[in-house]
Amino acid sequence: MINAVHISKHFGSIKAVDDCSLHIRKGEVICIIGPSGSGKSTLIRCLHGLEIPDSGELYVNGKKIDFTRDTTKELSHIGFVFQLFNLFPHKTVLENLTLGPIKAGGVPEKDAVETARKLLARVGLTDKENAYPAQLSGGQKQRVAIARALCQSPEVILFDEPTSALDPEMIGEVLNVMKELADDGMTLAVVTHEMGFARKVATRVIFVDNGKIVEEGTPDQIFDNPQSDRLKLFLSQVIHM
Amino acid sequence: MTAFERIFTPTNIIFMLKGAGYSLLIAICALIGGSVLGLLAAMGKMSKRKIPRTIANVYVEVIRGTPMMLQILLLYLGGPVITKALFHFVYTPNPVLIGTIAVGINSGAYTTELFRSAIQSVDKGQWEAAQTIGLSRIQTLKEIILPQAFKRILPPYINEFIVLIKDSSLLASIGAVELLHSADVLGAKYYNYLLPLLFATVAYLIMTLNISHLARKLERRLAESD
Repeated sequence: MINAVHISKHFGSIKAVDDCSLHIRKGEVICIIGPSGSGKSTLIRCLHGLEIPDSGELYVNGKKIDFTRDTTKELSHIGFVFQLFNLFPHKTVLENLTLGPIKAGGVPEKDAVETARKLLARVGLTDKENAYPAQLSGGQKQRVAIARALCQSPEVILFDEPTSALDPEMIGEVLNVMKELADDGMTLAVVTHEMGFARKVATRVIFVDNGKIVEEGTPDQIFDNPQSDRLKLFLSQVIHM
Repeated sequence: MTAFERIFTPTNIIFMLKGAGYSLLIAICALIGGSVLGLLAAMGKMSKRKIPRTIANVYVEVIRGTPMMLQILLLYLGGPVITKALFHFVYTPNPVLIGTIAVGINSGAYTTELFRSAIQSVDKGQWEAAQTIGLSRIQTLKEIILPQAFKRILPPYINEFIVLIKDSSLLASIGAVELLHSADVLGAKYYNYLLPLLFATVAYLIMTLNISHLARKLERRLAESD
C-alpha cells in the first residue's frame, strides 16, 4: 500500500532519517517505537509529504510519488493525525470534518455532513458537532482529529504520537478509538510511546534509533525477545515494573 | 463682508467636502488595490521558487526605497512618454485615476510585509493539517490561514488606511481632485490660503480620528471573542 524505499532526510548536518525502508501492507497495524529524537516522527511525516525526503523513493499503491510536484491531491487518501491535533480553531467540529471532502473532494455538502455525523458518532462525539475546538478537552480534540482523518475515506491512517500531548486520564479514550479502528480492519501506522498499545494492538513493531530501523518484528519478538543491545536498553528504560 | 463669510459660502463648503469625499475614495481604492498586490507579493515572498520571490523582493524594496512623490510623478508624467516611445500611443492621463494607481502600488509594498508576518504567525501545523485533507495552497490560505491572520492584521491595516487618506494629499501636485487640492484652489481664488487650509485640517482630522476610534472599538470586540 505504502512502500518507502531507502528514505533519508537531513536537517542541516543531522540525519533525522537514515536510509529507512518501510512497507505498510493492507490491514497491518504498525507501531513505530524508539527514543525521543530518534527520527520516528520525521519518518512518518515523510510518508505524507509533510517532510520531503532528500533521497529514496515513496510508492503509494505501486505508483511512485514525485515530490518535485504538488503531491497534496495524490496523498489525500492517506489520513494523518498529529500530536498537537492541528484542528482549525475558527471552524466548528462539523466544519473541521467536512472541509476536506467538500473543498478538495468535491463531495456535496449534504453527503459530507451525513458522513461526518456518522464518524463523529463512531468516535463518541455526536453532541459536540457545533462546538469549537477550544471548547473541547485534549482527548476530545484528538478524537475529532481522528474523525477528520476518517472523513478522507483513507486507505491508511498515519499517527504521529497521538497521545503524547494528552493528560494521562485522556490517553485511554483515544487509544480505544484507535483499537476499534484496528479491529475494523483499518490499516494504521502509529508512532507511539504507548508500549501497552503496541504490544496489544500492533501486528508489527518497528524500533527506530538514530534515524535507522534497528529491529522489527511481531510484538512478541520485539518485547519478549529483543535481539539488539540498543532495543534491550530502550525497553529496560521505558517498561517499568 | 469678512474673509470668513466670503470663503465659507455653501457652494465652497460643498466644493471642499467633495474634495474630502475624493480623498476618502482614493484611499479606499488604493487600499483595495494595494491589498491585492500586497497579498500576491506576500505569497511571492513565501514561495519556494526563486522567481516569484525575486519579483516580490524587488517590488517591495524599490517602492519602499524611493519617495512616493517620485512614484506619482513617474507614473503621471512618465507614463505617456513611455507609451509614446513604445507604441506611438499618446494619452492625457486622468490625474485621479493615475494618482490612485500610484498610491495603490505604493501601499501594496507596505501591506506585503503586513500580510507576510500575519500569515507566518499562524501555526505551521494548520498548513500541514490542511495539506493532509487535500486542500490546495490557495484553498488553505482562503479557508484556514487568512481568517486566523485577520485579527492580527486588523490594527496595522486600519493604520495603513489612515496613512493613505493623508498620503492622497500628494496627488494635489498632479492636479487630482481631492481635499488638499480643493483647499489650494479656494486659497488661490480668494488670496487667502489660511482659512481653506484650516478647513482641510479639520476635515482630515475628522476622518482619521473617527476611523481610529472605530478601529479601537472593533479591536476590543474581537478581543472579547478570544
